[in-house]
Amino acid sequence: MNSTFNLPRRSVLKALGAAGAAATFPGSIRPLFAASVAPITVVINQSPWFESFRKTVEAYEAETGNKVELDVNPFAGSLEKQRNSVRAREGQYDILIMNSGWFTEMYAGGFVEAITDIDPGFQLDADVYTLGDTVYYNAEKKTVTKDGKLMSVPVSPLIPMLYYRGDLYKEAGLSAPKTFADLEANARKFHNPPGMYGIVQRGARGPHTVAYDFYPYLYGMGGGIFKDQGAGDYSVTLNSKEGQEALDYYIRLAKEAGHPKTAASDQAEVLQAMLTGHAAHIMMVIAAWSQMDDPNKSAIVDKIEWAPPPSAPGLPTAPGLGHWLAGISKNVPDDRKHAAVEFLRWFQTKAAQLETAKAGGIPVNAAVYKEPIAEERKYRWMKPLAEALPHAVNIYQFPEASEVIAVLEVGLNRAVAGEITSVDALNGMSDEIEKIMSGHAYKTGKLAPLQ
Amino acid sequence: MSTAQQSSQTRAAGSPAAQGTVGESSQRLWRWLTFGPALAMMVALTILPIANLVVTSFQNITWANGQPTRTWVGLRHYEALFSDQLFSAGLWNTLIFAFGAVVGQMVLGFAMALMCSKIVRGRVLYRAIFILPILIPGIVIGAIWKLMLNYDFGLANKGLALIGLMPHDWLGSPETALLSVIIVDIWHWTPFCFLLFLAGLESLPQDVFEASKMDGAGPFQELLYVTLPLMIPTIIVTFAFRLVLAFKVFDEVYLLTSGGPGTSTEVVSFTLYQRFFTEDKAGYGSAMSVAIIFLVALLLVVALSARRGAGARA
Repeated sequence: MNSTFNLPRRSVLKALGAAGAAATFPGSIRPLFAASVAPITVVINQSPWFESFRKTVEAYEAETGNKVELDVNPFAGSLEKQRNSVRAREGQYDILIMNSGWFTEMYAGGFVEAITDIDPGFQLDADVYTLGDTVYYNAEKKTVTKDGKLMSVPVSPLIPMLYYRGDLYKEAGLSAPKTFADLEANARKFHNPPGMYGIVQRGARGPHTVAYDFYPYLYGMGGGIFKDQGAGDYSVTLNSKEGQEALDYYIRLAKEAGHPKTAASDQAEVLQAMLTGHAAHIMMVIAAWSQMDDPNKSAIVDKIEWAPPPSAPGLPTAPGLGHWLAGISKNVPDDRKHAAVEFLRWFQTKAAQLETAKAGGIPVNAAVYKEPIAEERKYRWMKPLAEALPHAVNIYQFPEASEVIAVLEVGLNRAVAGEITSVDALNGMSDEIEKIMSGHAYKTGKLAPLQ
Repeated sequence: MSTAQQSSQTRAAGSPAAQGTVGESSQRLWRWLTFGPALAMMVALTILPIANLVVTSFQNITWANGQPTRTWVGLRHYEALFSDQLFSAGLWNTLIFAFGAVVGQMVLGFAMALMCSKIVRGRVLYRAIFILPILIPGIVIGAIWKLMLNYDFGLANKGLALIGLMPHDWLGSPETALLSVIIVDIWHWTPFCFLLFLAGLESLPQDVFEASKMDGAGPFQELLYVTLPLMIPTIIVTFAFRLVLAFKVFDEVYLLTSGGPGTSTEVVSFTLYQRFFTEDKAGYGSAMSVAIIFLVALLLVVALSARRGAGARA
């Protein structure tokens, strides 16, 4: 087939005219906003809060004219891309959105540049949550403490919250559970399978699935994984009496008031159970709040209420931090580092965080929680979240956390699936974690095995 | 060198023997010139990466100040393989998976090929339908079966409900999770066996079948004493191919169960993914990779030896 390319004379003349005008008056065809810094690329995961981040970024671009490109990936894919980028001679990504499970790996490996080293004038907004001081890193002590350098800015202060069916609670004349005993009693009360499950737990094995679901139970009952990470004592305490109590409780809840497929339920399935009206309670990161009242996704619009995760009597709520931090790659050109700092400077402000909240995200700036928006019905999760955030526990303060998480994922999942007993699971996991820690030359030890 | 010597050498070079030597050496040179690029490519793309993997398997890699530090650890990673519970669970499950899935695929594939070879009308249509699963991408297969086996609304449980049975958690129960993945793999890869067997059946000499019929053999006797013995080489090659591929299973496990519940669907490729990528243990992951390569090579050698043995007997 022959084809001829005809250029209309009028179009050619128009184009020549436009080119001539542009050459004569270069300022006349500039965009409304001129970028003041270099374009940057952010590597990020596809989480429930991603849409709010994307909209916040759009607001930044519209306000400043600066360009931000987002490289969006699944959870594990994001980590792999970050590792590849930071280990290259020159990095592809300027801002790394790091999860609580791997940010110390990035700090300790020397892959993230301290923000104050790039711009000594940078100050973290006084109202921004420092989330267990995880935004700082002390290279000498090899841990996250406030006396270290400012390495990152929080992007999403995620912690698990208790989502419960406010309508059912109202009918039954109940109030939000504060203790685990309350939660169990209420879950049993509403448990009527297959139409309604008392609670749906995230018991599947995954990158950080059942372990993350278990932390509020473990720490809320006074247990823990290590003796005192802050003091550098990594003696394993997982198989304590409290640890056993927590795991037995978690399994009992699953068996007697939970979903029969708890051992295979991941985040999507837990959310699905709640959104379709088949769960009375779930423990889920707060990022999923916006889906609850979305009529396109939810059968329980306006029926969900939020509360801090329950705890044992006399102990505070203890949700595990599952937050996200934004750090700047060390191996990118200086102009891009400075551009990244500009973005973070803007992002942490109250105004930007208000945009984030309106877009369905979780603000990292405490000032937003004191705004009138927090009183609106739509944002009814804000007050319980602000109540729980100060008690959030930073589960891992060392770079080899992913190895420990892998052990917990297998051991906990085996116990939930009934493959081994809770005692065997806790003793086995403790042995493996102690081996990992001693292998990396940490001060460690372990408790006597549970009988 | 004297002129006399030179002329004698020139004569020698002109002799038929010398011409042969020159011809051979130029042929040898030509062979190396043509073979060289392929050899260099193979060394660069196959030998070097494996050599690098082997070297890394004796090292620990740690990162500080953005730079890697390699520490020689000798055989420590290989020793650790023996006490890695996830690896042993993965190895055991992989063997069950590989043999279970491949035997299922072979039996079904052979039966389908046998039926298809007897069909006169619509053979192309049947063939097209039978090979459909092999054309579907792994990720789609994961989605299809995740929906099929869903506890709440999956077709499998809807079927159970129709006959008055309680729903079952196919992928979440340790008793049925591995079996479910095996069934998915059988569904996925039976067409591969079917195609090879069909090709094998269609190439069998027809005079042997005619002779067996003349001798009064029935269909079952024909299958047992004629078809199967003649198909042995094809069966062994198909078995070897599938066994090696099944040993490398990853996508179905990753998409359907992530190795769970517990370790009931843990397979070696998934353990390797965990150790090497998720936990970022490059040295230990390399040792595991070398061990897996060795095991796959061993399987291949055993299968090919069996084929040679069968060939010799034939």
